[in-house]
Amino acid sequence: MRNRLKVLRAERNWSQADLAEKLDVSRQSVNAIETGKYDPSLPLAFKIATVFGLSIEQIFSADDVAQAAE
Amino acid sequence: MAEQLTPTAKRVARRYAREIAIASVLYTAIVFAGAYAIRNLDLPQWLVILAALAPLIPALMMLRAYARFLNGIDEFQRRIQTDSMLISAAIVGFGSFAYGFLEEWADFPHVPLIWVFPALIGIWGLAACVVRLRYK
Repeated sequence: MRNRLKVLRAERNWSQADLAEKLDVSRQSVNAIETGKYDPSLPLAFKIATVFGLSIEQIFSADDVAQAAE
Repeated sequence: MAEQLTPTAKRVARRYAREIAIASVLYTAIVFAGAYAIRNLDLPQWLVILAALAPLIPALMMLRAYARFLNGIDEFQRRIQTDSMLISAAIVGFGSFAYGFLEEWADFPHVPLIWVFPALIGIWGLAACVVRLRYK
């Protein structure tokens, strides 16, 4: 799964630790999600979307969907 | 590492450390008392069995502490823990299975079953380090 977490975080000037604190998860968790090594559960994806004030689709996209759009 | 913990994670880690410490103290006391009683007192067989099984109580307290810890940490950390446990279970499970055949058929020295659980815990710790590196 692809995500725009790093970009969205940079736009808001948030560090990984800042985002981790807002999500109540570890910084390693944010890093693993951001680098695509770990796909969050649906509840965590909703929480991430809420923190950024966006919909899940605006943050995450499936690899094949992203490739088809390119 | 500690500065990366969220307030929830800190609370969970503190509770885990406290529960493990209590269980460890109890385990040490039970093992020493049991060993002393079995070696120095003329206990009936049922009491010997009871003493031999008594360390299971703090061991189960540790298991409960770990289960509570696992439920308290975030989902990614839980993934690391469960992946590591699975690797440890596979290594120790297949390792002891293979060694059982070596003992029976190839006259390898006998290893007491009591080592299975410490091996499970030790390899789980090592596996957690490796799994953590994989996600870096």
